[in-house]
Amino acid sequence: MSAAGLIELTIDGKKVAVPPGTTVFDAARTNDIAIPTLCHQQNETPVGVCRVCVVDVGARVFAASCVRPVESGMVVTTSSEKVKQARNTLVELLMADHPTPCARQQSSGDCELETLARQAGISQPRYSRRTTSRVKDISSPSIAVDFDACILCDRCIRGCSEIRENFVLGRMGKGANAGIAFDNSLPMGNSSCVSCGECMVSCPTGALTNKGVTGTAIDLDPHVEAVTPDELQQLPVFKGVSGTFLSLNRGAVVRRHFKRGDVICREGEYGSTAFYIVEGKARVSISTPIAHVKTQGGARGFFSKLTSQLVPRKADEREEDTDQRYIHIDAPVDLSYDNPIAELGPGDLFGEMTCMSLYPRSATVRAETDCTMLEMLRNVLDIMQRNKNFRAALDKSYRQRALDSHLRGVPVFAGLTDEFIGSLRDHVELVRYTPGQIICRQGDASDYFYLVRIGFVKVTQAHPGGEMVLAYLSRGDYFGEIGLLGNDVRTATCTALDHVELVRISGDDFNRMVNQFPDIRKKLESVEEVHLQQNRERLSLVESQPLDSFLAQGLMEAQSLLLLDLERCTRCDACVRACADAHNGITRLVREGLRFEKYLVPTSCRQCKDPLCMVGCPVGAIRRRNSLEVVIEDWCVGCGLCAENCPYGNINLHPFEVMADDPEHPGRKKAVVKKKATSCDLCAEHEEPSCVYACPHDAAHRVDPREFFAGLVGQSPSQARKS
Amino acid sequence: MRIDSTHGKWLIASVVILVAATAIYIPYAASSPLGPSGASGLGLAFGIAGFACMIFAGLLGARKKVPVWRIGRAQAWMRGHLWLGFLSLPLILFHGGFRFGGPLTSILMILLILVVASGVLGAVLQHYMPKVITAEVPLETIFEQIDRVRSQLLAEADEFIAGASALGNPLATAGARAAVATEELTAITEADVAPLRSFYSRQMRPFLEKPDARRQALADAAKARTIFDNLRTLLPPALHGIVEDLQEICEEERQLRKQARLHHWLHGWLMLHIPLSLALLLLGAAHAYMALRY
Repeated sequence: MSAAGLIELTIDGKKVAVPPGTTVFDAARTNDIAIPTLCHQQNETPVGVCRVCVVDVGARVFAASCVRPVESGMVVTTSSEKVKQARNTLVELLMADHPTPCARQQSSGDCELETLARQAGISQPRYSRRTTSRVKDISSPSIAVDFDACILCDRCIRGCSEIRENFVLGRMGKGANAGIAFDNSLPMGNSSCVSCGECMVSCPTGALTNKGVTGTAIDLDPHVEAVTPDELQQLPVFKGVSGTFLSLNRGAVVRRHFKRGDVICREGEYGSTAFYIVEGKARVSISTPIAHVKTQGGARGFFSKLTSQLVPRKADEREEDTDQRYIHIDAPVDLSYDNPIAELGPGDLFGEMTCMSLYPRSATVRAETDCTMLEMLRNVLDIMQRNKNFRAALDKSYRQRALDSHLRGVPVFAGLTDEFIGSLRDHVELVRYTPGQIICRQGDASDYFYLVRIGFVKVTQAHPGGEMVLAYLSRGDYFGEIGLLGNDVRTATCTALDHVELVRISGDDFNRMVNQFPDIRKKLESVEEVHLQQNRERLSLVESQPLDSFLAQGLMEAQSLLLLDLERCTRCDACVRACADAHNGITRLVREGLRFEKYLVPTSCRQCKDPLCMVGCPVGAIRRRNSLEVVIEDWCVGCGLCAENCPYGNINLHPFEVMADDPEHPGRKKAVVKKKATSCDLCAEHEEPSCVYACPHDAAHRVDPREFFAGLVGQSPSQARKS
Repeated sequence: MRIDSTHGKWLIASVVILVAATAIYIPYAASSPLGPSGASGLGLAFGIAGFACMIFAGLLGARKKVPVWRIGRAQAWMRGHLWLGFLSLPLILFHGGFRFGGPLTSILMILLILVVASGVLGAVLQHYMPKVITAEVPLETIFEQIDRVRSQLLAEADEFIAGASALGNPLATAGARAAVATEELTAITEADVAPLRSFYSRQMRPFLEKPDARRQALADAAKARTIFDNLRTLLPPALHGIVEDLQEICEEERQLRKQARLHHWLHGWLMLHIPLSLALLLLGAAHAYMALRY
């Protein structure tokens, strides 16, 4: 040791003096002697796992220089042939377990392992490669994980824990199965990762790389202002967001200025961005639901009034309707059915579903005053939603503005008092789930009641033959009440279909609510009974053994199937004309489709048990009544998603005349043609579907396929009826 | 429409009415010194009943114009049309005492017989033909769409031939060749494709283009099979896939033709039945007016 308290040693023949505790690696580095390494970074605690930095310190074995402290008089050799050979063998072994070129090498050519291999002259390792591929994790919107490219250097783990203190990343498994893991074993997108990007910048290979999401930047136009990461971090909502992430995603968030009256987005259009209002106010609205998509409306004119006596119609009332009806949109507010207009202000975020799940815009948003907004892509919105400050602001805004209308928009909760909702305000939580994430499992203890705020939830039930879909829930729907009302355990598994946000109410608050409002308990219990009965019916159905072809044609999925007996049908098209006549000249039935035995299954809604058409409707306009009909409500924005989702092509878009704002004369309305989705409504206003009623040859039938084809599916009609 | 056990009640009611009418008519005819007459009380009653049946039968057309009106299921109207329409013949014969009378009544009687006969023919056709169409035209489409489907078939066949021609054309773009080319197809020469092109332009395209033309060999399934088998012998195996596709197109065209033909049988009788029925009702009304007035 020198007089100055430094330790003296020799590295590659050069005498150096360093403070005690210094590692050999640092001693060499500070004296301009480079030692290659993979697992070591200056800003992280050295762990010596890759052993690439081995040096000869004169001991029995080589030492990892990054963890070996210097000793007085130590003689270190960093680049002898023996050391190089050992180092190259390590690199070669790592290369044998690494795809070449990896994603990073392909995109920027700077994979540290491949660079080392190239410098060492290793092109093809002598060792056999891993025969089975480890999976890729692309669940995060901003970071892609390639476990094959991971060399287990732990740099990402230390970056996450030591530098960012997020403690999301860790190691799982042993030996050949060892790997990095997010929250022990979750997909990255489902974990508590905040997408700070530290792991990505720490990674020496292509195991963690930046993902381009729906284009990496928003197109710049005269109204758009590029924002630098530094500028963004000055904004309160971006406080706490990683600067690394913002730099890597430069251009994915921009500032937009809108003049009063400018349209920010239109209902039905597709997009990929969300908007955060920084300044100004915006008006959100949907076209007034004048054009009724349902069976033709009231009689007009003398002759119509006279003939309407011959066409008795029942009132088309939804049994679950209440006085207050809301249209659920992709914004923090719901729109009243009677006056579908609302105002958004600073701090409001809208377009989340469009941005996260690429659904069509659910409403038209127009600048009410001059506005400044931040428009962001999915990767930025995702990280914002993981940001505690931003979440807190959004939660506060929801509790103050939307909880009330959201709860009351659910028919069974329409009777809640202001006082009670006020007491709930501080208790409810907004929780988020990523696509595929399980919200609750069948058989788990019931602890929470959930209201869907954003996205779609799939409800499934396990049975001996597999899993059966019971329902798809969207904004305004709720679940979890069956367990809380007495079963104690979950009766079904609920899974997020896309990016889902739920309002979570604890079991205690839920019980307080149903005890305080016996009417609500009664309504919930009656709805619960209906749901349980439907589930029982479906289960007994699945337990039967239907014919393969019957299943293959999806006929078993139908609840009400229109069948034409081709041996009776004279192809007179009376059914098609009747359908058109019942729906303002627009038929919802095309006499063409698949054949099953002597029956034709024409193109007409089958009222499926698993109505895929409902998934994705941005305004919840397509829904099921408490009975079996799938109805398309008047406020359909004509995006066409339901028509795309219907596997049988039974939903069509048709033009209707509606009144809309006249852009040339603000404040006035004018008639415009707008498309709306139509599907068979079973002529709900009549006793019997018109197509069946009008068939002169007894060829058209609306049937329950289980009962009608009971012989084919191995049941007697009476068994089928009971089931 | 099938006339089966579901028509039982109508059949029984019609037979009961016919038996009752006959039971009334026989003593009435026997007791009338000048024979039964349409002008007598009973004769008039038979006439009114018969004409009422005709009117009810005729109203089916009007009923079909308002399919949404809840004025009885269309199938009940159709059964009424069939059985009451049929019953009108004996009632009118009883009305006229099995005599045709003057010129107008003779015309009326002939019209009635023709209408009932065409109706019976229609009922028979509509009883059997749907089953025949279902069995023989598995690729059935909507009748009004036949021309459109035919033009799609033609376009599809043109595309196949264009693709095959591109294979044999050394100047064809790489894209055109790639559109249909597989490893085997790349060796095809223009000479290889020539028989296919010749067959298509001389036989198949006219067959698809002119559905009304007669004496087309491809219109006959057995002949078509032979033609395609012969064609295969002239072509390299790599082109047999295209031949298969063309053969399927011809089969679909034959089915479209058969559907059109059967459809005309199924509905053609209405061209006779409806105008005659209208004439019968109009002249019947004129006859009733004149008979009652004068």
